[in-house]
Amino acid sequence: MQIKANPLRHGVALSDKKAATKDLPVQAIPAPDTVAICMSQHIGKPAQPVVQAGDAVLKGQLIARADGPVSANIYSSVSGTVKSVETRKDDRGASAQYVVVQNDKQDNAAFLPPLAEKTKENILERIREAGIVGLGGAAFPTYVKMTPRTPVDALVINGAECEPYLTCDYRLMVEKYAELLQGIRYLALALGVDKIYIGIEENKPDCIERFAGEEDIVTVPLHERYPMGSEKHLIYSCTGRKVPCGKLPADAGCVVQNVATAYAVYEAVELGKPLFERVLTVSGGAVQRPQNLLVPNGTAFSYILDYCGVDDSCAMIVDGGPMMGVAVADRKVVTKKATSGLLALTKAETDGSTPTPCVSCGRCARACPMHLMPMDIDFYTQNEDYEGARDWGGVLNCIECGSCAYVCPAKRPIVQSVRLAKAKLRELAATNGK
Amino acid sequence: MEQQAFVEHSPHQKSSLTTRRIMLDVLIALAPAAVMGCIYFGWQALLVLVLTVLSAVLTEIIWLLIRKQTFKEIFKQFDLTSVVTGLLLGMCFGSQTAWYACILAGAFAVGVAKMLFGGTGRNIVNPALAGRIFAFIAFPTIVAGGWLGANFTESAGEVLTGATPLTDFLTNNGVMNTELWQLFFGYGVPGCIGETCKIALLAGYVYLIVRKVIDWKYPLIYIAATGVTTMIIYQSFEVFLPSILSGGLFLGAIFMATDYVTSPKTLWGNVVYFLVLGIITAVLRFATGIEVVSFCIFLMNLVTPLIDRFIRPKPFGYVRPEKEKTGKGPAKEAGK
Repeated sequence: MQIKANPLRHGVALSDKKAATKDLPVQAIPAPDTVAICMSQHIGKPAQPVVQAGDAVLKGQLIARADGPVSANIYSSVSGTVKSVETRKDDRGASAQYVVVQNDKQDNAAFLPPLAEKTKENILERIREAGIVGLGGAAFPTYVKMTPRTPVDALVINGAECEPYLTCDYRLMVEKYAELLQGIRYLALALGVDKIYIGIEENKPDCIERFAGEEDIVTVPLHERYPMGSEKHLIYSCTGRKVPCGKLPADAGCVVQNVATAYAVYEAVELGKPLFERVLTVSGGAVQRPQNLLVPNGTAFSYILDYCGVDDSCAMIVDGGPMMGVAVADRKVVTKKATSGLLALTKAETDGSTPTPCVSCGRCARACPMHLMPMDIDFYTQNEDYEGARDWGGVLNCIECGSCAYVCPAKRPIVQSVRLAKAKLRELAATNGK
Repeated sequence: MEQQAFVEHSPHQKSSLTTRRIMLDVLIALAPAAVMGCIYFGWQALLVLVLTVLSAVLTEIIWLLIRKQTFKEIFKQFDLTSVVTGLLLGMCFGSQTAWYACILAGAFAVGVAKMLFGGTGRNIVNPALAGRIFAFIAFPTIVAGGWLGANFTESAGEVLTGATPLTDFLTNNGVMNTELWQLFFGYGVPGCIGETCKIALLAGYVYLIVRKVIDWKYPLIYIAATGVTTMIIYQSFEVFLPSILSGGLFLGAIFMATDYVTSPKTLWGNVVYFLVLGIITAVLRFATGIEVVSFCIFLMNLVTPLIDRFIRPKPFGYVRPEKEKTGKGPAKEAGK
């Protein structure tokens, strides 16, 4: 079934730059000699390691247990011995524990038993057990998302992949169509809903056509516009519902899951395979052999980049897509569950501009998908009036998609201001609450 | 291979549009009208334009030098806004304006109306308008008296001197002696350098729309509101075209009122701004009997922050907060 999307006027038109990897089949990268698996690769409390240095582990063996309700189990992505459990600083400057595993290259795997009875409870339990998190980027534990407090009646699958360069979700939809479909149905079963929507951008017509053939899934071709894959906008495009400000999608009766998450659910349910590897796109102008790779969790970026070949024109390494990804200074950073892309960009592809004064042209407000006033957020934040940024710019509703900073002719660092204002407001709320 | 990579906040790609590029587009859009002005009014018009532009640009550079910036820094941040200011200022002067008036007005426009308020993006009123109004008040006879009109049938030097068609129109109770086609092409029409040739201004308007520098709706709203209000005032349909084609309405509507810094930031804010602008222009023209476009825009510039305060977009998914729940909705309700 196919329906027309509810139109969204805002956002920006980007060139998708997916051509380099769009038609390349997913290949598994040879497992590295060591992996460093981060204990804090999801939103919520870090997982507690259950292994010690010297322990022998198998591929797919539990190495850290979820600590608290909002947390996720973590599994080893290679077989071998645990070299150490150490604390490192990650790319965002926060300390986290890492379990470093020496790969013995034996590839001995120990998965969970495949799920025999596929009931709602069993699937939910399996999602929790397999350590599945949202693979679209946020890494929110899927189990928590699948057990909302308010009643929901629709499952929305995110196949938009609106970030330029990234093609890993597209390749999944092309190559693992049947498995993905099964995974989506398991998700719907676990949620107890019969309305399933899938939103796919119009630059993937083959996927739209295939999903449109399914009777139980409503396929919604999305206008090629960034950020169509944003949760709130995807819900609106597919169902016409608006998520109230400051509320969760469940308050609009929806749960959104990424296609990669749906595929991980399929693997966990059908094969008993926990989440320890994922497909990511390695692309960008400085990459000699851009490709879609199946990468074990905890692989160092330097290993992947060496495997794909990066030349000296590389000016910036981005973890994720160019619009919302994080630029990393250190190539020792490792992949996590939600790493969907690894870009090595040349100087021409990145933005090295210096900010000039805002001329109030209003382009940011016209681009803002949340209908905020980004110029006011920037103005008030630069003048250290964070409450002004909240009241007049609406900073707390910002989804940090970066559309405003993309269109800004004055090259204002608007997203930076947003993050600063949000952090300061959080600080302020904490001190006022005491 | 192991060199330290460059790090910044997302997004890591940005559009190629810069403020300098926008200002260059404005200059290109102004060019046809400026060229036509020089053709109609001769070398004196060119002199006025050159003087105002030079004065505006030099004022900015001198200001920045006083602020102890090096030439390299000045060049790096030079975004052509002062050139636009100077050119616009010159285009709303008559060709007979004295050289010292041009220089003083240019210096006032950039020095007082723009740099004193904090430079690009911080000015409250349009600098070119401030310069024009300064000259209008400081040198009333030099700027406003004796408009010249180009007339190629007369021998050179014997150009027509007289009231502009608009003052003609306003003093004769809505009757104008100039033909409409003449008004449209500006041939033989006394007036400011940049305002007489409407077709050149329209060419600039089309260019600005194509380059997406301005929204096509806004100048139309202003012009239409002025025309309609004039029709209501004179109780006649015939005054529509003469009222919009005469005077500096096109120049003001297309290039002055659409100035980013001094116009509202939102769509609806702009609609209100241009609508009110059109109405007060027509009313004040009728009440004073002179051309008031520049004063009206100046007035509305001052109101802009107020419009921005009250007309704001609602966030996506905004729900009107119920009375007892306060402080939950992050964005404030407009007007409350």
